[in-house]
This record gives sequence, structure tokens and C-alpha cells, in this order.
Amino acid sequence: MDENRSPLITAENISRTFRSAKKESGFRGTVKLLFRPQYQVAEALKKINFSIMPGSFVGLIGANGAGKTTLLKILSGLIPPTTGQARVLGFEPFSRTKEFRKQIALVMGQKAQLWWDLPALDAFDLIRAIYEIPSSIYKKRLDLLTDLLDVQAHLGTQIRRLSLGERMKMEIIGALLHWPKVVFLDEPTIGLDVLAAHKLRKFLLEFNRIEKATIILTSHNMEDIERLCPRILILRSGELIYDGPPARLTEKGVRRLRVRLIETPTITELSQASGVAVDDIRKGDGEEIGREHSESDAFYFSVKHEEVVRVLESLLKRFRIVDMGLEEESLERVIHRIYEGKI
Amino acid sequence: MSLGWRIGALSNGFREATIYRFEFLIEVFGSAFVPAAIQMVLWYALFNLAGATTVAGYSYADLISYTLVSILFTQIRGGDHDFDLSEMIRSGRLSNHLLRPVSVVEFVYLRGVAPKLFIAGVCLVIGLSIGYYYGLSPARMVGAMFLALLGNIIHYQIGAALSTAAFYWEEAYSMLMVKNMIVHLLSGELIPLNLFPPSMQWIWKSTPFYLYVYGPTQYALGRWSNLVFFQSVVIAFLWLFVGYLLVRVSWKLGIKKYLSLGG
Repeated sequence: MDENRSPLITAENISRTFRSAKKESGFRGTVKLLFRPQYQVAEALKKINFSIMPGSFVGLIGANGAGKTTLLKILSGLIPPTTGQARVLGFEPFSRTKEFRKQIALVMGQKAQLWWDLPALDAFDLIRAIYEIPSSIYKKRLDLLTDLLDVQAHLGTQIRRLSLGERMKMEIIGALLHWPKVVFLDEPTIGLDVLAAHKLRKFLLEFNRIEKATIILTSHNMEDIERLCPRILILRSGELIYDGPPARLTEKGVRRLRVRLIETPTITELSQASGVAVDDIRKGDGEEIGREHSESDAFYFSVKHEEVVRVLESLLKRFRIVDMGLEEESLERVIHRIYEGKI
Repeated sequence: MSLGWRIGALSNGFREATIYRFEFLIEVFGSAFVPAAIQMVLWYALFNLAGATTVAGYSYADLISYTLVSILFTQIRGGDHDFDLSEMIRSGRLSNHLLRPVSVVEFVYLRGVAPKLFIAGVCLVIGLSIGYYYGLSPARMVGAMFLALLGNIIHYQIGAALSTAAFYWEEAYSMLMVKNMIVHLLSGELIPLNLFPPSMQWIWKSTPFYLYVYGPTQYALGRWSNLVFFQSVVIAFLWLFVGYLLVRVSWKLGIKKYLSLGG
């Protein structure tokens, strides 16, 4: 079988539930918890299906609690799915065979994996021993990684004394020294400054391109997703609601027409006047990404590029326009609407 | 069996334990001399203030020598890496270790035991020097240290098995604390175990804890015959086997409940 043509990662009907004790507030709640505990079950993932080919760079996105980290934990073998089956590199992840563990890496942006009190170099030396990396190869990789991430000067510094960005870079190096075939990255750019995040993204792209490593990345930073991932999976409340390229979400040719009027018409009136569907018109609510509160009285029309002039002409017949602008739909805005359940 | 990562873990653990040198020394000397000082005061009160001449067959000099030699083996007694394990399970930090291609339980032990091995070496040199001065057998001192090291492993195995309670109840701290209190009493680090009334001797004999401090001290001081020592070594290996099974089973069952919280 040609290895390159079969998926490296598959998820078949993966569901995962978590049971936890429900505690009511106050003393009575504490006593009740002690003698008659009640449990609640949360469905973190609901029948997830997808497959990923070798060498892919896939973004996994979703609002907090959507199930992204749970999915990564299942794929990396930390927890089993409640139902369904996952396969990674031909292994059932939760069986965590030594062979499997040697070929994967999981980096959690919020969880330190290196030893806090030791210099990074000591930690890397232990990782070299754990993964049985020959000294010459280890040295070459370490030089390459520290050079790419620009942290040579900090190798002898205790991890706890490093800045967040430097620590994150060390975590990434520690996770990649054994040259894993599959890398799970859970918010790797969290807390990084613009330059550090840029360097890390550049490095990940290179690692994916040159080493043909399969990378799955979760991030709340849409720049990470747009720049790195040709394919994204979107989770909402444990359900996989989108699987495809990010570009399809922003739909080429669709523009956001921003209009401020002297009058204050309803959305229905605007729809009647412009011929644009009610669902494609929004009133700015002051929470628009990157917008000031002064835009809260603006209306936003999602229209095809070639219809912009016609819509404007129609609006001008009924209303007086005081301000207008035209912009492309950004991925961040689309995702924002998806999280809100408006798409 | 790969030695590479095991040596790496020992070396790394030693570096971590000694990175704060002052803290390391305080821990070593503090844990050695505080219990010893308490015993000294107790023996002084019994013999000099209460006027006793022997206690359970021990003279004042016997008890002082027991106290001094037991300090060496109390230093080797297992540490608190089982607390680390339970905290790792509770907080989800265990995830970092689970994905590495080595045994978590062994890895944590090796990193934790590294400074103890160094201390064992120092204690052995001290023991041999004192023994030379007081005419104690060097072979007995080496054998006693070996038994104490077996005790160290058994102590960790029991703790590692108990720490799996954190998989079910999230918190295993109290259980491990109680275990440690029992160990303080039944290992012989506070009092020689033959001060127990004859009707209660079965209590310490039915646990492995006496192999940690009491057994090595008695053998080093020449109060145990070679036969009793070899019997104790065999018993220690039996306990190691039981501990191994306990760890295997408890972790195999517990890990299925692991939630990998956080992150």
C-alpha cells in the first residue's frame, strides 16, 4: 500500500463525555455532595468524523469549550473516546505503544513540559536520552531548532527565568527534538509577541514543508490559522461543523458594505429597499471586531462585489447616506459569526 | 532494557535536586538531626532522669548508638515522589509524561531517587568511617545500606500504588500522609522496634517498613545475625515483587479513569 495515499489520522464517529459531580452552593450543597452526590454529564465531542493525509497542516478551531483540546487529547492517546475510533499512524492512540509515542508530540501552550528549575539544555539532554537520539543527530537538530527560533543565548538559563515567548520556543524545541511524524499543537502562540509568533509560524511552516510532518494546530489567533493551515476543522459545542479550506469560508467576491444613514430604518425596511436578504444585513452592535463604538449605528450588508453599485443606488433612493465603506470578509469575522451560531 | 534514559533521568534528577544547594543541605541535615535530637532527649529522660538502667534489654549506650546509626539509614528512606505522582494525576501534569516512550512510574522514581543515591554514598562513607573507629564490620555496613536501598524502592512502590487513588477521587494526599506517618513509626526511625510490647511485634513484622531503617541499623550494629539479614533480603525481594504487581495493576486500572485536566 502506498503510505502517502492513505490517511495518517482518521476519526470515526468519535464521541466523548465527561461526568462530574454537581456541587450546589453553600454548606447544604457541601453536605449533599458528601452524602448524596449528583453527577452531570457533559458531551465534549459528538460523532466526529474526518481523515488527515500525511504531511498536512490542519487548523482546529472553535470557541472555548468546543472540544478542540479534548480531540487533541484523544488523538494523542491521553484519553480514550467514549465511543468511536481514532487511528493515528496506524495505531490506536490510547494503547500508547512505545512505537506510537516515539513518533508523536503534543505541545500545550498552557502547560509546561520542561523542568522548571533546570536550564533548557539539561532538559533537552534528558529528552535526547529518552528518545535515544544519537549525539551527532541531536546536536545537528538542536543547532537547527535553536537557530530557527533564535534562542541559542538562553539555552543555559533556567526555564522559570525565561520570558513566556522564550519558554514557549523551548517547549517547541523539546517537543520536536525527536523529529515526530505527527505534531499536535494546542495554542502554541499564546502569549507570544508579534515577532515571536511570526518566527514560530515561519518555523512551523518550514518544519511541515521540509520534514513532511503532519501538524494539527489549535489556535484562537486567526492569523495562525490563515497563514499556516490550508485546511481547517471547526468545532462548535462538540460537533464538527466545517471541514475545508479557510478560503471557502470567506467566499471570494463577497464584500461587506458598511453604510451609515441619517434615518434609522429596520433591517426589514433595508432588505425591501436594497433587495438584499434579511440574513445578509446586520446592524453594528458595538462589538464588531476592530471597530469603535461610533460604528454601532452602521449597517453591514454582505453582498457580491458586482452588486455593490446596485445596492447603493437602491439605498440612495430611499435613505440619506452619511458614510460608507467596502471591505473583504475576514476569516476572523466569519469565525466570530460561526461561534455566535449566526452561520 | 535501555540504560540510556535511566542514567539520563538519574543525572537530571540529581542536577535538579542540587540546583538550590543551600535548600538541599538544609533538607539533608534537618531531616537527619531533628528526629535524632528528639530521641536523644527521650533516652536522656529515661535513663538519667527516670533512673532506668535498661529498656527492653537496651542500655543507654545501645540506644544512643542505635539513634546515631539509624540516622544514616533514615536518610535513604523513600522520599515523597509518590506525592508528586498524585499531584500530577490531579492537575493533569501527568499528560506530559504519558506521551514519552518511557514508564512514568519508573521515570519519576529515578529522578527522585538520584539525590538519595548520592546521600547513600555519603552515608556509607560516614558509616564505614564510624564503623572503623568503633570496630563495626564494613561488610555489614555495605549489606545494611543495600537493604536500606531495597527499602527505598519498596517505599516508592507502595506510594505509587496508593497515588492512583487520585485517578478516582482526584486527591490522594491524605492517604499518602497517613502512610508516611505509619512509616515513621514502623520503620524504626523514631524508636527501635523491639521496644514494642511482645504482643504487638507482629504489627511491624507484617509490614515491609522495618526493612527501611530498623533492619539495616540492627545488622550494621551486629545485632542481627547474617542469617536474619539474608532472610530479610529475601523478604525484601518478595515485597518488591508484590509492589511491582501492585503498581502494574493499580496503574493499569487507574489510567483508564485519567481525565488529563487542564490545557
